[in-house]
Amino acid sequence: MTALAALRDALIGRPRDAALVGGVGLTYAGLYLWVIGDLGPGGGGGLDARFPAWERVWQTRGPLHFEPVGLIEAGPWIWTFSPLNTLLALGLGLLLGGNLVLGWRVRHGASHCAWRAPGGSLLAALPALLAGGACCAPMLLIWLGLPLAGVLIPVLPWLLPLAALLLLASLAVLARRLAASTS
Amino acid sequence: MSRWRLAPILLFALWLGLPMLETQAALPTLEAPPVPLAYSLQAFRQAVRSGGPGKDGIPSIDRPRFHSVAAADAWLAPDDRIIGLYLDGEARAYPQGILVWHEIVNDSVAGRPVSITYCPLTGSALGFHRGDAELGVSGRLVNSNLVMYDRITGSEVPQMLGVAIDGPLAGRGLDELRVVWTTWGAWKTRHPDTRVLSRETGHVRNYRRDPYGGYAPRRGYYRPQSRRLFPVMAESRRLPPKASVLGFRTRQGAAAVTREALRREAVITLALGDRHYTVIRDAGLDTGWVFHNPRRVAIRVDELTFGPAGVSGGGTEALEAINAFEAMWFAWAAFYPDTLLYGAPEDTP
Repeated sequence: MTALAALRDALIGRPRDAALVGGVGLTYAGLYLWVIGDLGPGGGGGLDARFPAWERVWQTRGPLHFEPVGLIEAGPWIWTFSPLNTLLALGLGLLLGGNLVLGWRVRHGASHCAWRAPGGSLLAALPALLAGGACCAPMLLIWLGLPLAGVLIPVLPWLLPLAALLLLASLAVLARRLAASTS
Repeated sequence: MSRWRLAPILLFALWLGLPMLETQAALPTLEAPPVPLAYSLQAFRQAVRSGGPGKDGIPSIDRPRFHSVAAADAWLAPDDRIIGLYLDGEARAYPQGILVWHEIVNDSVAGRPVSITYCPLTGSALGFHRGDAELGVSGRLVNSNLVMYDRITGSEVPQMLGVAIDGPLAGRGLDELRVVWTTWGAWKTRHPDTRVLSRETGHVRNYRRDPYGGYAPRRGYYRPQSRRLFPVMAESRRLPPKASVLGFRTRQGAAAVTREALRREAVITLALGDRHYTVIRDAGLDTGWVFHNPRRVAIRVDELTFGPAGVSGGGTEALEAINAFEAMWFAWAAFYPDTLLYGAPEDTP
């Protein structure tokens, strides 16, 4: 079995695994959007959506952080919706979910075949989790009460691409291991 | 000199002079800013840090819309903070909940172009005459304070300094105007016909949420004891970092009055060098008005009148008003380390 086939099989071959990837992806995306400030409290309790600023879809607020084009109000929540921020959040979330599912499948295989359990997926997830705060690190520092923004901010533009690269690399390694274990 | 030789020289002189004329028409500046510079412009430039967002990543409001007090009452609570401006008979309120997302409003009041600026990280609100120019948010900070830039020349100006530290206008001071940091309830009592900045800003933001915390009551980043985020050029522990002070500057120096002292004393007299100043408490707006008082005129508190334009009567008639603004102590002390501080309790360890 090729690595690509093993990857496809692991991620969408079983409904339970596909649901897990989707669930992790959505949860992470929600967390990411909350941390960068797109998702937050303030809703009036009703349901409303308006999109008055589509012309700003490509405008950036910071590195890989884009202007919202619309405002979605749902219950107590307000989502200032940017398609690009949402795509980034979902992309990272799905990569993280894929890593977790693949890591679990390899570990599961390892328990039968006496393989060394991989820790790559968890390590790779770390920068992705950190990257969730990449665009809004000052907010995180406020919550943590740390006067470190001046030191951390220069590295923030690199966090998001680094997280994506690490997650992709980890996914490739895990897929190859899974393919080797099932061939 | 023959006419054909003189013409190119005149044209060259005109070419040299045009940018200067353009600069002066663009952003009104003062060659000798009435501000003490504790550091060289180069030192200020070296202290500039990235704040995270890029240039205009925090977008200024360039086409502000306004509505009535009744419409604003639907979404502003009496305790909500606003920045108030009264100019040539017109009153405007700029809610802090909107400015925390935009930091600068390029407005025109009574036909006069002005910029209303607010830095959430230093709790400072200042107004500037802007001529034909617009001010934008550079995305950079010095002493945690917003560094604005002039969209015509690109010159960079830290808001609390009011002096350009970089670009063609370096060393020149902006022309300030008094704005008032107060509550919506206090402002509308003083100015029942005020117009209020609308949340229809042309940008999509969650104006019901302050990403830094809140002012009623003070929480998150705004708590007096909470720590600053970015490095500062000078540090003072005489007050808690985020304690609110009313400060003013002259060429002779800077002075700050604690919020507690201002609430306690109706009139405060201060000396900066051999020059004397009087700070008059405005209990209605919970702020103070500062005057240069060279002859040390005694202020008759009972005769003071507080109206739309501020304080009048009681001996203030012949006094020269000095601009003042509220700010967090750590930032004030960082820009003006030699500041006089009035009303400090014992130095905190």
